[in-house]
Amino acid sequence: MTTSSSPPLLPPRPAPPSARRSWRGALRQELFATPLDGVISVLLLAALLAAGVGFWHWAFRQAQWAVIQANTTLFAVGRYPLLQQWRLWLLVTLAAATIGASWGLLRSHPRADRSGTLWPINDLVAIAVLAFVAAWLPVALKLPVPLQLRWWAITALLLVLRGVSGQWGQLVPRRLLRFLPLLWPALYLFGMVLIAGGLGVPRVPPSEWGGLLLTLLMASFAILLSFPIGIVVALGRRSTLPLLRWSSVLYIEFIRGAPLITLLFLGQNILGYMLPGGWAPDRVWRAAWVLTFFCGAYLAEAVRAGLAAVPVGQLEAARSLGLSVPQALRHVVLPQALRIALPATVGQFISLLQDTTLLSLIGLLDLLGTARTVMANPEFLGKNAEVYLTLAVLFWCCCAALGLGSRALERRLDPSHSPT
Amino acid sequence: MTASPLMIEARGVQKWYPNGFHALRGVDLSVSRGEVVVIMGPSGSGKSTFIRTFNALEDFQEGTITIDGIALSNDLRNIDAIRCDTGMVFQQFNLFPHLTVLENLTLAPVAVRKRRRAEVEAQALGLLERVGIAEQAGKYPGQLSGGQQQRVAIARSLCMEPRILLFDEPTSALDPEMVGEVLEVMRALAADGMTMVVVTHEMGFAREVAHRVVLMSEGQIVEEAAPTTFFTNPQHERSRQFLAQIL
Repeated sequence: MTTSSSPPLLPPRPAPPSARRSWRGALRQELFATPLDGVISVLLLAALLAAGVGFWHWAFRQAQWAVIQANTTLFAVGRYPLLQQWRLWLLVTLAAATIGASWGLLRSHPRADRSGTLWPINDLVAIAVLAFVAAWLPVALKLPVPLQLRWWAITALLLVLRGVSGQWGQLVPRRLLRFLPLLWPALYLFGMVLIAGGLGVPRVPPSEWGGLLLTLLMASFAILLSFPIGIVVALGRRSTLPLLRWSSVLYIEFIRGAPLITLLFLGQNILGYMLPGGWAPDRVWRAAWVLTFFCGAYLAEAVRAGLAAVPVGQLEAARSLGLSVPQALRHVVLPQALRIALPATVGQFISLLQDTTLLSLIGLLDLLGTARTVMANPEFLGKNAEVYLTLAVLFWCCCAALGLGSRALERRLDPSHSPT
Repeated sequence: MTASPLMIEARGVQKWYPNGFHALRGVDLSVSRGEVVVIMGPSGSGKSTFIRTFNALEDFQEGTITIDGIALSNDLRNIDAIRCDTGMVFQQFNLFPHLTVLENLTLAPVAVRKRRRAEVEAQALGLLERVGIAEQAGKYPGQLSGGQQQRVAIARSLCMEPRILLFDEPTSALDPEMVGEVLEVMRALAADGMTMVVVTHEMGFAREVAHRVVLMSEGQIVEEAAPTTFFTNPQHERSRQFLAQIL
């Protein structure tokens, strides 16, 4: 096609400065684009600064953190028997080890089409924050020295395992790697046994669980079980079988039509009549099941939106290759639908975590319930601000972890990203 | 061609959509082993619906369809057996975007035929080589061009070792400069003796590769002829109109 007479194609030129983006330029554009913008920006920044200074002054001069320091155990585990608390330490240690190993393995096995860095900037920031909090918090809480050492050792275990499994994770055989995710359900079941007792370990009844332990237990239980419920109900709602479809719709609309607190009270009172004597679960478990079915209904709607977003051609292609409907769902439709539904799903989980505070209204000693007993103690009257701030920070940490994890997962699962 | 057994035999196929539209109005078609049949026709003429009945993506109300000796019925085992033996290539590719190219190919043979992964992977890499994109095996479909995606889709069908390949407008969603590479692969398949039913508007392909051209209109077969006859001396007024419009 090309002849010697055709003009040569232009080579690329380097971009002029105006085409490049610098964060300084962007900031100037955002804050000081016009004189009026500049004035507004300065006023807002001054107000923000004043509020910050005021808060700083309160937090480090006036606030009396003794209310937290004196009640760390209560906030952490409620009235869990002192002699049995080694079980919780064991659980935390195992969890830290599993987290460290999983984290490192994920880093050493980037997606098939990527090279991936072993130590990206996100990881370094996360490690720095974790190390700082773990080093500072036990001291700030004035924990006894042996407990401080224990926390430091657990954090060190997590970080060392992250480093080791990151560096040498490639050596793990591929066949073994496929079974490693099973560590998590195994850890969860084992953790349940450790917390509740059984299998030769003395029983600790749910009425003695409390604080962060109860909050995390309730939230994780509801999250894990509501997920399959949500998927089944979402599939049911899209089914062509009328009975299945209508019962799914009925379930979703019934749950979504009532406030959670109503359902929690209903669960406490009515389950005893609905189930034969002795079958009705303990008060804590009643609340856990209500939370689960509540979250399941909302999740079903998130999953349904994901299912609707998968083109019908995907199912047709899978079926035309000979896959059965369950196979097509498992290998083709659900992985795509759940990825699309992931942000909404995690949003649901985050609000569920916060909804656990309603448990305090039905008399359970979750974090908020524990906090209320502490604030009712004459010794700590008027220390509400300290307690509520601590609670807020604790919840924020849990939610931030969920949010960060989900965004990392989103990036990993997004096939439209070009390889980096 | 006379002694070849029939791979597809459709007799008096009638289909109504749930809204009452009469999509197929008594269609007959026989395809022998190794034969390439091109189906043409204006949009809405029922050609896509027709080939989608061959692997039960569409149901039909009257008539019979027999694929390689197995009658299509509501028996799920029959449908699954036919789908395993009948590959389909779609206009929109319908690759699985969350799986790599290689995983797109190996999914069905491993999940349905229960073959060993290593063995299927070797076969899949061979097929990717054959359609000219072996170096893309580790990428995701979204990272490929349209022509490459459609070639992956063809390789994915071939990985199930089908006896029949159905093509539903395989080049209609492609940029013009990518049509050629897909037709090239289809030509090679035809030369290897694959039984193919192709819904397409590609005149050149029909003329060179097809053994027979079928023109559908309003849910019926209007004309059925060898390509030379069809393109140079169509017998029916409807065929002449159609050819006048697309040439």
